[in-house]
Amino acid sequence: MNKRAGIGFYIFLIIFVFLVMFPFIWVFLTSIKPVGEIFTSFKWFTTNPTTESYEAAVTNRPLLRYMLNSFVVSTVTTILAVGCAAFASYAVTRLPIKGKGLFLGVILAASMFPQVAVISPIFNIVTELGLRNSYTGLVIPYMTISLPLSIWILSTFFQKIPFELEESAKLDGASPFQTFRKIILPLATPGIFTTAILVFIAAWNEYLFALTINSDDVWRTVPVGISMYQSEYSVPWGDISAATVIVTIPIVILVLIFQRRIVSGLTSGSVKE
Amino acid sequence: MKKFHLNEKRLGYLMILPSIILVVLITLWPVAQSFYNSLFDYRLNDPTRSERMLSANMDLERYVDNYFYIDSQLSNLEGSADGDDIATIQQARETIEGFHSELASDSEINAKMEQIDEMLMNFQPISDSDLKYAKLDNDFAEDYRTALNSISEELQVMAGEADNEDLAQNYEQTSSLIEATSTNILESNFIGFSNYAKYLQDGRMWKSLSNTMIFTIASVAFELVLGLAVALLINRTFSGRGIVRASVLIPWAIPTAVGAMMWGFLLDGQTGVIAHYFNEWNLIPNSSWLLSTSSGGMFSIIFADVWKTTPYMALLLLAGLQTIPNSLYEASDVDGANKFQQFFKITLPLLKSSILVALLFRTLDAFRVFDLIYVLTGGGPANATESISIYAYITLFSQQNFGEGSVLSVIVFLAVALISFIYVRLIGSDLFAGRTK
Repeated sequence: MNKRAGIGFYIFLIIFVFLVMFPFIWVFLTSIKPVGEIFTSFKWFTTNPTTESYEAAVTNRPLLRYMLNSFVVSTVTTILAVGCAAFASYAVTRLPIKGKGLFLGVILAASMFPQVAVISPIFNIVTELGLRNSYTGLVIPYMTISLPLSIWILSTFFQKIPFELEESAKLDGASPFQTFRKIILPLATPGIFTTAILVFIAAWNEYLFALTINSDDVWRTVPVGISMYQSEYSVPWGDISAATVIVTIPIVILVLIFQRRIVSGLTSGSVKE
Repeated sequence: MKKFHLNEKRLGYLMILPSIILVVLITLWPVAQSFYNSLFDYRLNDPTRSERMLSANMDLERYVDNYFYIDSQLSNLEGSADGDDIATIQQARETIEGFHSELASDSEINAKMEQIDEMLMNFQPISDSDLKYAKLDNDFAEDYRTALNSISEELQVMAGEADNEDLAQNYEQTSSLIEATSTNILESNFIGFSNYAKYLQDGRMWKSLSNTMIFTIASVAFELVLGLAVALLINRTFSGRGIVRASVLIPWAIPTAVGAMMWGFLLDGQTGVIAHYFNEWNLIPNSSWLLSTSSGGMFSIIFADVWKTTPYMALLLLAGLQTIPNSLYEASDVDGANKFQQFFKITLPLLKSSILVALLFRTLDAFRVFDLIYVLTGGGPANATESISIYAYITLFSQQNFGEGSVLSVIVFLAVALISFIYVRLIGSDLFAGRTK
């Protein structure tokens, strides 16, 4: 359907993008208003922009610490999950083993498990191991989400690599593991990278486990930390909008750089090719 | 060539092993544990029920400590009591001693008690739960408990009848000590399916389940229709695709909790700009309607979810649209089909599997909804937006009731399993296509 785009189409497009982006635009405009103005008027633009909300956002709460925590936990989770998944997906797509269907079925089922169904036993395990309020205590439960996700996405990428290359490597006398390391892995690198981005975003956004396991303020992650800005007595919308802008910027950058990859990763599991 | 093949197989199992171990340990095992927990009256904040006990148990740490005083207090009373009371007290002492020696006749329990005794003398805390608890025979536990309770009551009666105040106080003290000892004998808290029976009749459970279903059906339906419309409209070549794609991905990529905080601000009755404009345009009765009434609350969470996930839905469907060959449309143009016919005869049938897969993942996500509601409305006002996951979380962690909370977790799990089962039947083998040979 390669129709030419007319003026009406672009107007529609601008309205669509504006509606989707409106919350961000408004939150940004709010974050640079003086605090008094937030509560008194609905003017779009302030006449005296200020950074006081930003200063308050990073000093009233350890926002930068939240970001560090999220970064460490998400990175470690991503490396572990994608590492395990690369082996498993290679085995399940290209090696002659039994029970592939069963394994993929279990993986798909595991990715559908509601987190609330595993949270109490995992809470008990993490408490017994003395890992509450630590990075390891979050990486363990995060694997329940990220490992099935990585295997599911990666197996489509592995399947797309042509089988002829492997056959010729075999004929040249390469061992199965050499084939994996020297032939398949380099070819799969873009797919692995795409998977890693999606897993990283999923781990960065996780809320339930982070809320339950790391209850100490210095160990909180970004999503939980942000939701704790509102107190019983007051809602500091200035701080909240500034904090929202600060934590959204890294994601905007990530999305702008890797948008093509993200889309290919998201759609790889849902479209037959 | 044979040897090579064998190696390949072994390598395959070896490569798949870490993932299998992880999935079993951190997903399958916890789900089984949740189910097991749901069969107990298991509460973290109640010392008599903070462990799962299939049979009766004795809290040896507290028992050994209490028993040490029982003996001396009873002999003390014997010295100061008069008349018939002396005989009753002596009998009570013999009864307790009898039970205690029966308990100590089990060599394992005896050894544990001696070790605990020594540790208590040295003021060491006993943290090892294997040492702290001992399994008891259910009948023995019940007999001992009843005996202790009746002795405690007798002493209470004597306290009431005693003529001098000092003596009355001594009776009181001993009575409460013995009563405390009886609570060291823990009954089994295995209650089978009683928790389920309770929740099947629980109005709040059914309310939260129906809230979850309303939320799931409404948000997924809007997302599908809007997502399909957007996908159809942008399925063409135009300049500025990158900007559109990025703007569509950002709501999907930000944490749900952050999105929920933003909507909390925009929909707020006093400072919320969207609440303000909706009110000005007479779309809502007043600006606080959105977050402080039950229908407003439900509207708000659906609205926020549609904003966050419609773009994602559009992307998935767009990818599906792009796999439909253009020649089909050209051919039907020649045959004189109109746009409407093309949509229903070509686009929808060919898009069916993409739509079903997108619906599967979206339905499950919506059914498990937790963070959006927890941050935006907290389940309120008056539980009007409480989803089943939120109810489970509150029961588990605010009330510290792991037994009943696990029932709710298992209900979520079963509902999700049922939904996936239905979808997988509809989608069929397409789901696995392209993954195994």
